[in-house]
Amino acid sequence: MRYVDEFRDPELGRVLATEILAAVEPGRHYKFMEVCGGHTHSIYKYGVDDLLPANVELVHGPGCPVCVIPMGRVDDGIAIAREPGVIFTCFGDMMRVPGSSGSLLEAKAEGADIRMVYSPLDALRIAKHNPDREVVFFAIGFETTAPSTALTLKRAKAEGVPNFSCMCSHVTIVPPLRALLDSPDLRLDGFVGPGHVSTVVGARPFEFIPADYGKPIVVAGFEPLDILQAIRMILAQLADGRCEVENQYSRVVPYEGNRRALEVMAEVFELRPHFEWRGLGFISQSGLKLSEAYADLDAEVRFSVPGVRVADPKACQCGEVLKGVIKPWECKVFGTACTPERPIGTCMVSSEGACAAYYNFGRFAREREVV
Amino acid sequence: MQVERVDDARGLALCAAEDGSKSTVEIALVDVAPGDRVLVHAGVALAELTA
Repeated sequence: MRYVDEFRDPELGRVLATEILAAVEPGRHYKFMEVCGGHTHSIYKYGVDDLLPANVELVHGPGCPVCVIPMGRVDDGIAIAREPGVIFTCFGDMMRVPGSSGSLLEAKAEGADIRMVYSPLDALRIAKHNPDREVVFFAIGFETTAPSTALTLKRAKAEGVPNFSCMCSHVTIVPPLRALLDSPDLRLDGFVGPGHVSTVVGARPFEFIPADYGKPIVVAGFEPLDILQAIRMILAQLADGRCEVENQYSRVVPYEGNRRALEVMAEVFELRPHFEWRGLGFISQSGLKLSEAYADLDAEVRFSVPGVRVADPKACQCGEVLKGVIKPWECKVFGTACTPERPIGTCMVSSEGACAAYYNFGRFAREREVV
Repeated sequence: MQVERVDDARGLALCAAEDGSKSTVEIALVDVAPGDRVLVHAGVALAELTA
């Protein structure tokens, strides 16, 4: 399979692992953050971390779109879904995210008309087929998913679909990275940059990481060799005393991003003054809402939502996991009270969530051989 | 996914995944032709894969 097999070649993987081993300084501990949940999934699915020396530590970042949605937003979604005549649509992962009094899946079991879709365009199609119902799409995700929502809203407006609206919970990747870099909890040596977000925004927005914080970042693809090569590139920067944005995923990421996608997002969305992130709290200018021109398609204008901030359950340590401060297995409820079948925290819900990745691929507490 | 057929008038393409399953994809953000490979996310082609 072109673009896949060549990035899963075990022999090349061994070569890269040998190069990485040769590039690390014995006695120095390296801590790199993989920003994207897709990277976390690949690392544990393919055992990438098993190929790394023990003094190269990978910590997961805030780039799982489902994991960062706070409980209060889930409650808002359920409140809309329970309105008479509403068909509430969302991505499959979102259905199982716990709110303060249950998930969307549980609300569906209790009678709310909640439907899983693969794309916002599917939600628009449902609206066209049900002109006597109000159809709401719960939009989540980073800049990777936001263009899809934006294009759907443009279509809804152009085609005049009055019964379609969107509850926008899109977020942007740069503000949480800045918040993490400002956090005294975490000392990082470099970043494996988000590949799919970068197909939209490009690599340029990450220039603040070397410029303001003196850390290297390499935008990377999601196959095992992509990740190994990105780690090799970060180590090379550190060894050379360089600190730059590099693009390992050049087969899909243009340095300047996708201009058309950025234009449609700028037309349809505007930044919220602040947005709450699970585990990270409120971060300025990190969330998107519909622009004035699209306000008539905003579900939060069309319907009343509680908008109440809800604290995470005390037992759940998703916040520390999302910041990379603890490993999933260090959470008190990991694998016991909190499992993919019955998640307490968001990180156990999506396959991109760090806890789900660790749990599904058997990554419990363990020691690695020190170089 | 690989582009099989393009409907320029509606800004859509019929694309095939590696497992043979087919789906309609929004192509407003990329210029593609049959035979091209695209990165698709949430029903939208975000980028054309280049060697």
